[in-house]
Amino acid sequence: MKAKNSFHIIPTPKSVSISITGKCNLKCKYCFYANEMEGLKDLSTEQWLSFFKKLKDLNVMDVSLTGGEAFIRPDLFELIDGIISNNMRYNILSNGTLINENILKKFENGKRRLRLDYIQISIDGSCAEIHNKSRPNSFDRAIKGLKLLKENNFPLAVRTTINKHNLDDLENIAKLLLEDIGVSSFGNNESMPIGSGCRNEASMSLTNKEKLEAMRIIEKLLKRYPGRLNAQAGPQAKLKMYAEMEHAKKTGEKPKTWQMGYLTACGCVFSKIDILHDGTIVPCCMLPGLKLGNILTDSIKDIWQNNKIMWDIRNRRKIPMKEVPGCENCEWNEYCNGSCPGMAHQLTGDFNRANPEDCYREFKKETGGIDAL
Amino acid sequence: MRTKNENLVEYIKNPDVVLREEDIDGALLFNPDTNQIKVLNTTGLFIWKLCEKKHNIGNIIKALKNSFDQVPDDKASEQVKSFINEMKESGFIGIIKDQKE
Ligand code: SF4
Repeated sequence: MKAKNSFHIIPTPKSVSISITGKCNLKCKYCFYANEMEGLKDLSTEQWLSFFKKLKDLNVMDVSLTGGEAFIRPDLFELIDGIISNNMRYNILSNGTLINENILKKFENGKRRLRLDYIQISIDGSCAEIHNKSRPNSFDRAIKGLKLLKENNFPLAVRTTINKHNLDDLENIAKLLLEDIGVSSFGNNESMPIGSGCRNEASMSLTNKEKLEAMRIIEKLLKRYPGRLNAQAGPQAKLKMYAEMEHAKKTGEKPKTWQMGYLTACGCVFSKIDILHDGTIVPCCMLPGLKLGNILTDSIKDIWQNNKIMWDIRNRRKIPMKEVPGCENCEWNEYCNGSCPGMAHQLTGDFNRANPEDCYREFKKETGGIDAL
Repeated sequence: MRTKNENLVEYIKNPDVVLREEDIDGALLFNPDTNQIKVLNTTGLFIWKLCEKKHNIGNIIKALKNSFDQVPDDKASEQVKSFINEMKESGFIGIIKDQKE
């Protein structure tokens, strides 16, 4: 049943993020997918190919191929061809370590290159010693893969996950990526206490003081490399959000790009849906416990349009922050948006709460807030 | 101006293009080869759907006049031609036949 006064939604998702395998050749310390990788079985080539046909009927525009490690599947290019023949574009999220000349040649067939939006590689350090602390035994191979992609003009995205080990290395990482390797920009976020990141929280996750330090470094880097660092989450994204909250509280001017005062943080459930490697349908890979069905037995369209959990997450944005448990008396509740529902669910058991990791009240109490920068 | 052999040219949609009817009063087209998106109003959507099968400009204008009220005679032809031309240039539709007299 849909909740009353539901939002207008598009009839089918525009994008689908698919974990095509639970296998990975690495064991990263903050892998949010680590728990799902154990126990669930990969779907077969035929099962994925017949799913891509269904996505064509839903007029889906693009798919994101993730894992595990996507390049571990020997049938990866068969899957890519299935995506292409069903009129979609695609991108790949990878650790980069399995990319070699042979693989790159395979992209030259048919429309594989034409339909590729980007390949994203994760780099967490400027040297093996630091990168390998979060992504064990992989620096040289990941850098080799990244350089190969760059030399062959592949569309690229690079992601650095900021954690306790690489905070002091951020300036060197930026130099390596932007100057030495010469990528146009790189994204950053932070290690979150989910999956193996939960087990390794003490050694990986930043404290609020470290987050402030990360913001300070990022501000400096943005002056040195204007527009070449970007973030949807983590210290850089939070710095922007907190600055807008401070500004709104001081001046009454609220930003036009997001709505303050309600649980409005996540727009994903209005445009995309995620699939685990055994075909389980979930609202988002950050909410892997909320199983909505399976692509082998259930209709994505029906789940998209009618599933109660999907609607509950969408309707979250109607909840005022002053009614969110724990936020009722906060002086920031008129300016806050509660941040990621996935992390809220992971840390509080309820996606209709605020994500404690991004709480500005706590951050300000411990650090003095962004005015301390 | 409509040329004499203009109706020998027939148009058909690019079969790779994705149509998403997201609102009651329009839709969008997505060309996965170019990553281009085109927003259609109801008339544009009507023409796009006609192009499921091959049609020349004359047929398209006739069908429009049959289905929509108040299609101005003089302007309609020019507007359809410019729409079709734009759709052709951006690869959303293709030419199926172009025989010279
Ligand atoms: S308590 Fe934290 S999360 Fe809640 S409104 Fe205040 S700043 Fe936002």
